[in-house]
Amino acid sequence: MKGYEYHKPQTVKEAIDLMEGLENAKYIAGGTDVMVLIRQKKLAPARLISLRNIGDLNYMETEGGLRIGSAVTYNTIAKNDFVQRRYSALADAVKKVGSLQIRNVATMGGNICNAAPSADTACPLLVLDASVIIAGKTGEREMSLDDFFLGPNKVALEKGEILKGFTMPAFGENTGSAYFKHTRRQAMDLPMLGVAARVTIDIGGSEVGCKDAFCTVDSISNILKRLEDENLVCEDVRIAMGVVAPRPIRARKAEEALKGKVISEKLFEEIGEIAASESQPRDSIRGEAWYRRDMVKVLTKRAILKAVDRVIRPDDTIWPDRLW
Amino acid sequence: MDGLKFVGQRVPKKDAPLKATGDAVYIQDLKVPGMLHGKILYSKYPHARIVKIDTAKALALPGVKAVLTGADVPNNFKFGFLKDNPPLKSGKVLSTRDEIAAVAAVSLEIAEEALDLIEVEYEELPGIFDPLTAMKEGSALIHEELKSNVLKLPWKFVHGDVEAAKKESAFIAEDTFSTQWVTHCCLGTSGCVATFDASNNLTVYSNTQIPSLAQNDFLEALKTFGLKKKRVRVIQAVIGGGFGSKLDTYAYEYIAILLALKTRKPVKIVFSREEEFLATSPRQCTITKISQGCDKDGRLTFREMEMVLDNGAYTSWGATTPSVMMVPISSLYKVPNIKYTAKCVYTNNTYCQAFRGYGNPQATFAIESCLDQLAEKAGIDPHEIRRINANEPGELTPQNFKITSCGMKDCIEEVVKRLDWKGKRGKADGRGVGMASLIHVGGAARVYKSDGCGTIIKVDDNGKVDVITGSSEIGQGSDTIIAQIVAEVLGVGVDDINIINNDTDVCPWDVGAHASRTTFVAGNSALGAAEKIRDQIMEIAAKTLGEPVEALEMKDGIIFSKNDKEKNIPFGKVLRKAHYSLGGRMLVAENFYDPPNENFDQTFRGNLSVTYAYGAHGVEVEVDKETGQVKILNYIAAHDVGKAINPMLLEGQIYGGGLQGIGYALGERMIYDKGYLKNGNFLDYKMPTVRDVPPVQAVIVESDEHAGPFGAKGIGEPGLVPTAPAIANAIYDAVGVRIKDLPITPEKILKALKEKAKQNG
Ligand SMILES: Cc1cc2nc3c(=O)[nH]c(=O)nc-3n(C[C@H](O)[C@H](O)[C@H](O)COP(=O)(O)OP(=O)(O)OC[C@H]3O[C@@H](n4cnc5c(N)ncnc54)[C@H](O)[C@@H]3O)c2cc1C
Repeated sequence: MKGYEYHKPQTVKEAIDLMEGLENAKYIAGGTDVMVLIRQKKLAPARLISLRNIGDLNYMETEGGLRIGSAVTYNTIAKNDFVQRRYSALADAVKKVGSLQIRNVATMGGNICNAAPSADTACPLLVLDASVIIAGKTGEREMSLDDFFLGPNKVALEKGEILKGFTMPAFGENTGSAYFKHTRRQAMDLPMLGVAARVTIDIGGSEVGCKDAFCTVDSISNILKRLEDENLVCEDVRIAMGVVAPRPIRARKAEEALKGKVISEKLFEEIGEIAASESQPRDSIRGEAWYRRDMVKVLTKRAILKAVDRVIRPDDTIWPDRLW
Repeated sequence: MDGLKFVGQRVPKKDAPLKATGDAVYIQDLKVPGMLHGKILYSKYPHARIVKIDTAKALALPGVKAVLTGADVPNNFKFGFLKDNPPLKSGKVLSTRDEIAAVAAVSLEIAEEALDLIEVEYEELPGIFDPLTAMKEGSALIHEELKSNVLKLPWKFVHGDVEAAKKESAFIAEDTFSTQWVTHCCLGTSGCVATFDASNNLTVYSNTQIPSLAQNDFLEALKTFGLKKKRVRVIQAVIGGGFGSKLDTYAYEYIAILLALKTRKPVKIVFSREEEFLATSPRQCTITKISQGCDKDGRLTFREMEMVLDNGAYTSWGATTPSVMMVPISSLYKVPNIKYTAKCVYTNNTYCQAFRGYGNPQATFAIESCLDQLAEKAGIDPHEIRRINANEPGELTPQNFKITSCGMKDCIEEVVKRLDWKGKRGKADGRGVGMASLIHVGGAARVYKSDGCGTIIKVDDNGKVDVITGSSEIGQGSDTIIAQIVAEVLGVGVDDINIINNDTDVCPWDVGAHASRTTFVAGNSALGAAEKIRDQIMEIAAKTLGEPVEALEMKDGIIFSKNDKEKNIPFGKVLRKAHYSLGGRMLVAENFYDPPNENFDQTFRGNLSVTYAYGAHGVEVEVDKETGQVKILNYIAAHDVGKAINPMLLEGQIYGGGLQGIGYALGERMIYDKGYLKNGNFLDYKMPTVRDVPPVQAVIVESDEHAGPFGAKGIGEPGLVPTAPAIANAIYDAVGVRIKDLPITPEKILKALKEKAKQNG
C-alpha cells in the first residue's frame, strides 16, 4: 500500500475545493469500500478527502418524508424508530449490512456511490422512491435514484461532485415495505440476491388492521385468506431487485401486473414469476443463475407479503418474524 | 474422583489476559533487529514450463537485498512426506501455489514492489484437475519422473470376508459420497523469522504446531544446503490457531531460511490473508464408494469402502490421513468384516494437509450417511441401529484396537433424550432430526516413531513452579490444563505455575499438537514429573517435621501432618531448606511419557491409541422448501471425554469443533476452477460467523479412562467429526432428500427437492 494525503474538511465547499484539479483524489466516507480497493491495489489515490466531519452531510429529518444525509452511518439509521416503522425496507437493509463494526462506520452515501449491483440499500431506496441531492461547485441538483445509477460502479456524479443526501416522500399508514437479502451467512455477507417491495393498499377509509387474537400468532398467508372478502386492492407498488442485472433494477412489469388488483397470495406468486422473467442473473462463484432466478420468485412473493403484513399488522417489530 | 481442587474446575485460560489486552506477541508482531521482509512470487499457471525468469529489475530496486529462484536452491533440496516438493520450483510448475521466486527487502512494501518487477515467461501446459482423470491409464504424469499419478502408499485394510458377508446380509445399502476442500481459517496467518548466527546456527521463530519435528526438518535442510553439524532452534510465537495447518513445514519456511542465509540477516515472511488461503494446505477432498450390510435384526455384517483422495501436486503428511480414516472405517460400531482401500492421486491442484480430524470427518460422513440409508432399508430407527451396534468397553476391534473406556451408548442416549428424538423424528414436515456417532483416537496416536512428550519441572525458593513442557499451546488451552494437573499434585495454585512451552533449546521433545493428544500425553508427562517433585518435597518435609512421608499432605501451599495439623511447613520453606542447607539442592524433576500404544503393522493392525474417544451428535433442522436453506434449531454434541479436566475449555473445543463442522457441512468450500482458487477471501469463503451459531448443547460424558491423566482423554478433534452426517441425516428426515456431496448448499437441496417432486408427480 502506497502512502496518500488525508484531508478532513468541515464543509462541502472545502471538500469540493480539495478535489479541484486533482485527477487522483478520492472522497472517503466510512472507507469500507475505498480501503478494500486500495488494499486490493485496484485504487491508488494520492489524496483521500474524508466526508465524515461535514455537518451538512450528517442530517436525518423525518417531517413530511424522510431525508438522510449521505454520511449518516448505518447504525444511526438502524436505531431510528421512525425509519423502522415507516420505511421498513430500508431498516431491513441497514440492519443486515456487514457486521456491527462495519455499520458503525459505513454510510449509505458510500453504498450508493460505490454502486455495486449487490449494494444492500439500493433496492429499498428504489422502492421508497428516493431521489438524491447532489452538491457541486455551482450549486445543488436533484435526480431520482433510478436515474442516478448508470451501471456497475457507475453513478451520475460529475468530477468533484458530492452526493449530499437522500429524499423520500411521506407514505401513509396503508403503505408497507420490506427488503429480503438472500445470503449464505447471517452476517458479513453480500446478498446473493436482494428484493425489496413497497405496497400501498386501498383500504377505503376503513381500518384493516387485524385485531383478533390470531393476528399475533398466525401466518400472513392465513390472515390474507381471512381477509379475502374485503377485496383489498393494491393501490401502488414498487419492486426492486439487486444482483440480477449490472445495476439494481425495478421489476416494472411485475409492478404493472399487481397495481390495481385485489391482493392474494396466489397473485403474489404470479408477480414473483413475472419479476423472475425480468431478471437476468448470471452464474458466478456466488451463486448459479437458475437458483438466483428461482429465488427472485420466492423473495418477491415474500417481500410483498411482508410489506402487506406490515400494513395489516403495523406493530410487527413487537412480534418475532413469522416469515422465515 | 473426590477431593479434587483444580482438576475438574472451570479455570479461565491462563493466556486469556494476554490475548484480551493485545499483549500477546504473535508472529505478526515479532521484530528482530536488522530484520528483512520476504515475499514470495507464486506461479501464474497451474501447469506450465518456466521458460525464463528475469530478476534483474527486482534486484536493482533500492532496498532489495536478495532475489532467489529455483536455481538458488542448493543440491536439489526437496521437502515433504515423500520429498517431492522443492521450496522454489524450477523447470516446471505444477500448481498455482507453486513458489517460483522470492525477495528479501528492507520493507514489506519494497518486497511487494520487487515481486512485480520479476519477469517470468511461461509455456502453459494442459493440467489435470480431477483425480479420476489423473488415475486413468495413459494420463499425463504430474511428476514426470514417476510411473503413475497414484501415490505409492499402501492404504488397504482387510478383515474377515466381505464377499461372504454380503451374501449373508439381509439388507445392504451402497452409495457414493464426496467431500470438498476446506481450509483452516486460522485468524493468525502463517509466518516465520529465520536467522543465522555467525557460526551458521539457525533460529526459526515460527508458529508451528510441531516444534520438534520442524527442528528436525530444518536440520535436514541445512545438511542438504551443505551446513553440516549445525544447531537449529525453533522458538514459537503465540499461535493464532492451528487446526492441523501448521502440522508440517512449508516452502515459505525454507525460503526464509535460504533468504537469511543469502543476506546474512534475519528474514521474516508472514502470509497475507490471500496467501493463507492460497498457500496453506486444505483438507483433502474425497470420493468414497461405500457399502454396508446388516442382518435382519440390524446387526452390521460388513463395511466396504473405496476412496480416492485428491493429493494435489505435492505430498505432505496429509497423505497419511487414510491411516486415521481407518479408525472409524474399521472400528466405528461393531463390524465383523471390513474392506478398505484408498488411493491418493497427484493432480495440478493445491496439495492437502492435516485438518482437525485428519480424514475422520470425510470417512464418517460416508459411514454415517450410509448407515441411515441402511436403517431405512431394514426398517429400523436410525437411533436403534446405532444402539444395537455401538462399541463397548473390552472390545478388540478388527484393527486390534483395545477399547478400554467407552461412553458411546451414553452419548447416543443423551442425544435421543435431549433432542426429543421420538417426538420429532419422521414427520417429514420441513423439520427433522438426525444423528451420527464418532470414534477417534483419544489417547494419542502413534503415527511417528515416538508419540512421547517430555516435561521438566523446577521449583524455586518461593514455591513458584516452572513447568517446561514439549507440548505446544495453539489456543486449545494446553498451558491451562497442564497447570491444573501440576497444581492438583503439588497443592499450589494454578497462578503459581508458569508454563514454558515455546523453545526447542529449553523444552523437551514432543511429537506435536495433533491427534487430540496433548491433554493425554503432555498431561500424563506433566503428571509424572509433578509426582516426582512432590515425592522429593515430601521427603524433605518429612525429615524436617519428623513425620513419616505417608502421614503428610500438601494443600494450599502448606505441607502438614494428617495426624497433627500443628505440624506443618509452607511449601516455599521446604524448598529454601533444601537449597540453603549444606550440600544444598534445587528441586528439579524430569519425566518423559511415551504412551503404550503401537504403530500399525504391515496389515494396518495395532493399538494406535491407548484409548479411544467417542461421541454422538444430534441435530434438529428446519428446511425452507422454497429456498433450500437449512436452519439448525437445536444441536446436541455429546462426548465421552474420560474426565473433563476443565469443563469450560472442553466445551470450547466442542463448540469450536461443532461450528467448524457446521461450516464444513453447510457452506465452506474452496472453489477451484481448473487449478485457480476463486474464493480466497473471507467474503466468498463462507466460514460461519458468530451470527450463524445455532443453540449448541455440549454434553460431557465421563467414562473415567484409567490410562488418562485424572481419567481424561482427547477432545481436540472429535467435535467436528460427526457434524456433517448428523446434519445430512436431519435434512433427509425433514424433507426426504439426501445430499451426498458436501457442502450441503441450498442449491443442492432445492435441486433434489425438484427432482423428487418430478419423480412423485
Ligand atoms: C466486511 C465488509 C462487509 C460489507 N458488507 C456489506 C453488505 O452486507 N452490504 C453492502 O451493501 N455492502 C457491504 N459492504 C460494502 C460497504 O460497507 C458498503 O458499500 C458501505 O455502504 C460503503 O460506505 P462507506 O461509507 O464505507 O463508503 P466509502 O468506502 O467511504 O466510499 C465508497 C465510494 O463512495 C464514494 N463516496 C462516499 N461517499 C460519497 C459522497 N457523499 N459523495 C460522493 N462520493 C462518495 C467514495 O469515493 C467511494 O468511491 C461491506 C464491506 C466490508 C468491508
